[in-house]
Amino acid sequence: MNRDIENTEVSTNVSFFMALPAFVWLLIFLYIPLLVIIGLSFIRKGVISAWPDFTLSNYFTFFDSLYYSILVRSLLLAFVTMAVCLLCAYPIAYFLALYARRWKNMLLFLLALPFGVNFVILAYAWFFILEKNGLINSILTTLGIISTPIQLLNTEFAIYVGMIYCYLPFMVLPIYAVLEKLDLRLIDASLDLGATRFATFWRIILPQSMPGIQTGFFMVFIPSFGEYVIPALMGGGKYMYVGSLISHYFSVLRNLPLGSAFTVFSSIVLLIVSLIFYWRFRRAT
Amino acid sequence: MSSRMSQYMLPFFVALMYFFLYIPIVVLVFFSFNKSISLFRWSGFSWRWYSEAWNDSTMWIALRNSLVVSFSAVVLSLIMGLLLVHYGRSFLEKTFFIFYGALIVPEIVLAVGLLSLFSFLSVPLGFTTLIAGHTILGLSYTVPIIYARFNELEYQLTEASLDLGATVWQTFYKVTLPLLTPAMIASGLLVFIVSLDDFIIAFFSASPSTQTLPLYIFNVIRSGASQSVSALSVILLLAGSFLILLLSSLKLKKLFSFGQ
Repeated sequence: MNRDIENTEVSTNVSFFMALPAFVWLLIFLYIPLLVIIGLSFIRKGVISAWPDFTLSNYFTFFDSLYYSILVRSLLLAFVTMAVCLLCAYPIAYFLALYARRWKNMLLFLLALPFGVNFVILAYAWFFILEKNGLINSILTTLGIISTPIQLLNTEFAIYVGMIYCYLPFMVLPIYAVLEKLDLRLIDASLDLGATRFATFWRIILPQSMPGIQTGFFMVFIPSFGEYVIPALMGGGKYMYVGSLISHYFSVLRNLPLGSAFTVFSSIVLLIVSLIFYWRFRRAT
Repeated sequence: MSSRMSQYMLPFFVALMYFFLYIPIVVLVFFSFNKSISLFRWSGFSWRWYSEAWNDSTMWIALRNSLVVSFSAVVLSLIMGLLLVHYGRSFLEKTFFIFYGALIVPEIVLAVGLLSLFSFLSVPLGFTTLIAGHTILGLSYTVPIIYARFNELEYQLTEASLDLGATVWQTFYKVTLPLLTPAMIASGLLVFIVSLDDFIIAFFSASPSTQTLPLYIFNVIRSGASQSVSALSVILLLAGSFLILLLSSLKLKKLFSFGQ
């Protein structure tokens, strides 16, 4: 007999109401807003009548090379960020999971520290390094490599540096989590059977770590696509990415229908690209 | 390449990466004590920026706003999460994935969605809208964590308690709650950190009078006087590190082993 909370005589109704708030909250503040955006995207701006003027014209605005270039730029940003983070994160995760012993906890803690700091401060810290008189330029001028300081801040280079810097820990931890649970006997067996270390890595360790890489994809690629803070701070607002444009529509232009339409439009693009990645991942495992 | 050298390649690379991770932070801390207003020209040691931050009333208001919003979000998401897990377990079994929605959608979509909703309903932006948005984030953390932990505990304990004659409320208060305390502390701390550091939802859901700290810092940097927030940034860095230290000192391994 299963006397679960819901099955006690008195409280079936009470249970329902006690558990309800979380669902209602989620509905009102997460799923309905998404519906509102979708709904708004079909409305022509300025018309607030009893029955809204439904139109697809908002979406037609975006079939233009200007918007294509913004989307491509954001996709490129997300892709490069993810690729570089992956290349840098994998060795770190590998080292932490399989090699570091005495230092593991300390290193893990140091890796987790940036999670407690927001992106604004993390990006800001790079100002001191990338600035015209900052660390890099000072070093280069003192060494005599350059005579005048190079513009490093407010460039796309700075944006990429900032993105990789902020998202690196998000890539390391999932891969580490998977590698840590790796069955070391598989590696031993492979080496015993005569495989080279590289072959062992490529055919045993790497496939096994795919779930971690997948999680890393979700935690890096998807947020990077819509990132607003880092391009705004590191790029000086000179470069238009998806996040910047959405923010522009909503905060500056206050054009909610068009902004919503673009949000939906770019989300669909993101979804399609993510699905392509996902299927290629599936084929790789 | 001799294997001797290749043996050191990996640790060297990792050391390089950690160097890359921490150089900006070290430089930031160092230059927060810079006397002059220019970013990198060192003109002497000074507590100037720290005392300026201390005397900045806008900063204190932003701090107060951040704390109010974050604490509220933590309390709300903990309570709702607890109630949901305790009273709605069988329902949750089939529908728990909807709580991952906030984590899959890019945060900016969430943020503009909230803004659209509030505009549509003509709700004035302010504390309520901020807290509502952050609680959504919070629920994405409290529900999965508490639910996973709750499933791990033999819920026969709940059954046993009911069988022995306790009321549902007594069971909740004397059995479930004490057992779930570690999960609550961990997820509460996590939500607090996430909420305190959140920028994008606050950017869209806050009014000028309810700026949170990340917003305040962002605006100061954008206005050009970025050196003035260097001290504040260092302080927040320390606070954030402390919170992470707290979080990592809890025995978290058990909490996250719900894949097996």
